[in-house]
Amino acid sequence: MDPRLSVTLRVALALLGGYAFAWGFIASGMTALHAAGMEFHDAQGLASLLGFLLFLCVFLWTFAARSLLRVGVVLVGGGALLIVAASSLQSALVR
Amino acid sequence: MFQSFRLAMSWVHTWFGLVLGFVLMAAFFFGTLSVFDREIDRWAVPATRVAAQPMPSFDTVLRPVLEGMQPEAEDVAALRDELSGPVPTRFDINYWDIRSTRDPVTYLYAGYEVPGAKSPDELAYDMRLLVAATGELLEEEPAFIGTGLFYPLHFNLTLAWADLGAWIIGLAAFSMMAALVSGVVIHRKIFREFFTFRPRKALLRSTLDLHNLSGVVALPFHFFFALTGLLIFAGIYFPIAETQLQPLHELHERHEEAQSAVPKRRAGVPVPLASVDAMVVQAQQRWAARGQSDKVEALILLHVGDANGRVVLSNAGEDRVTSAPGSDIHFRASTGEVMHESPRPSATGQVLEYLAGLHLVHFRHWLLRWLYVLGGLLGCVCIATGFIFFVEKRKAQHARAGSQGSRIVDAVAVFAVTGMLIATVMLLAVNRLVPEGLPGRNGIQGFAFWGAWVMAFIHAALRSGPVARAQINPAWREQCWVLSMLAAAAVALNWLTTGDHLIKTVFTDTYWPVAGMDLSLIATGLLAAIAARHLTRRERERPAVRAHAVPT
Repeated sequence: MDPRLSVTLRVALALLGGYAFAWGFIASGMTALHAAGMEFHDAQGLASLLGFLLFLCVFLWTFAARSLLRVGVVLVGGGALLIVAASSLQSALVR
Repeated sequence: MFQSFRLAMSWVHTWFGLVLGFVLMAAFFFGTLSVFDREIDRWAVPATRVAAQPMPSFDTVLRPVLEGMQPEAEDVAALRDELSGPVPTRFDINYWDIRSTRDPVTYLYAGYEVPGAKSPDELAYDMRLLVAATGELLEEEPAFIGTGLFYPLHFNLTLAWADLGAWIIGLAAFSMMAALVSGVVIHRKIFREFFTFRPRKALLRSTLDLHNLSGVVALPFHFFFALTGLLIFAGIYFPIAETQLQPLHELHERHEEAQSAVPKRRAGVPVPLASVDAMVVQAQQRWAARGQSDKVEALILLHVGDANGRVVLSNAGEDRVTSAPGSDIHFRASTGEVMHESPRPSATGQVLEYLAGLHLVHFRHWLLRWLYVLGGLLGCVCIATGFIFFVEKRKAQHARAGSQGSRIVDAVAVFAVTGMLIATVMLLAVNRLVPEGLPGRNGIQGFAFWGAWVMAFIHAALRSGPVARAQINPAWREQCWVLSMLAAAAVALNWLTTGDHLIKTVFTDTYWPVAGMDLSLIATGLLAAIAARHLTRRERERPAVRAHAVPT
């Protein structure tokens, strides 16, 4: 692969893929914590705190990993799964 | 793509550090100034150079002022599009919000009902500023440079549109965390960095020493501030509760409202207001019994004149990092009886508030505040030496290859380092130079600040030629001299226009906010002069490197 394209892909995946993954983590984390009895805004704050640190880890991992494909699958696929999980848990709680 | 983990981290450190470093420099520097934003306000608005006062009596002092307030004519005119009916001539009060923090100015805000508005939540606003000690009402928009400009620059670069500035600052804070982790990975010998600074070695070596030293000495400080900065604005960066999880959020809000003893809406029954001063006394007794500060920081009257009206009193956060249980007390406005006290926060809530509280620095502790300044300035040193290292490492090679890369980075670095300092000190000097009461004075000050910053960049770009020959951009030295002279001018102008000189503000009539500003300006000027002299010597030592083959 052309090195410029490779770097651009990694930067995009690290920022956007990492963001989607962090969004999924925070959304599902805060829903799960709230379902377990934690106050809504406490759950949001705690999940965000951990979410930022997780974002940092996956961001750095994107640059360190050998296979960009694996990173893409984990971040985009995992992020989508977490987002769906948050919404499903929410509909169970709101009903 | 990268040969090893260290090389991958090195790439992240170099390029994210460089691109976002220019934003980070502003976030760190104006954040540092924001530690003393109120003191900068005192320096810039001499009418407020009096000792901090407790909040004045509501019943005798504040209430007459508040009752005389109405939305400004131009704000009312701007409401026209939001109305379905005619524009009202007089507005009924919705809330009053009075603030007095660690400064002598009491801020009075008012929100008014807008009859016939398309949205039921539409309000009109007015505000006044009262100097409690003198009873003087200040002009409409005093030049509060510290709280009004430096503080917002720190967290949103004054780009409020679509939270654009907050997003840029957030990306920079995230890059700071990435740069710190990757920096530690690159260098490995973290313990040795604490004790390594070799200023007499080659510039490349001593720059790297200083970069590593300033990075590791305050490593927890830098990481903590980047992380908690992101956390404070988590709702902007991850607006999950307003989008994906809005149904759950609303469900929670309805539960809270149902359980609360405090009425959320107006009853529609007019009832007169009881003595607020008596409520203040009652609140102070409760705070004193808990061993908390008895200074009122916020006095909020909701649904003024209504049977559901209430008065919320909060005490100053000067003696603690986070809000304490019972620090907010709600009174029934018509009778003065206590309706509700803020409960003890949960363990999670306390941890989150503590993290935010350490970032926001509401507590009063002058030594700790100066340590914050030191930590912030170390961050600035770390970022600035990062730029210089980037340029020094590459410029000989670029000169041989005929590349302009390091020349451009160096010019932007001048803009971000000395340019930013010149803009800041220029603003202070112009603040003292332009007479108060002159129409458009705030516009002139804004023009001086941004204009000086842009001029510094143009100057740096025009003088950047020597960098392409592996020499030093003379703009660094020249801007250091300009900064030095501006700092001296600001101190002198302060003396001439207000009569406040250091002998007075330190010894005979001590007033630390102004003395601290003058002393900091003198220190800035001296350091800039020393730097300029060093640069003069360095520039003479550098032989030029010519390009082998200059493509023309």
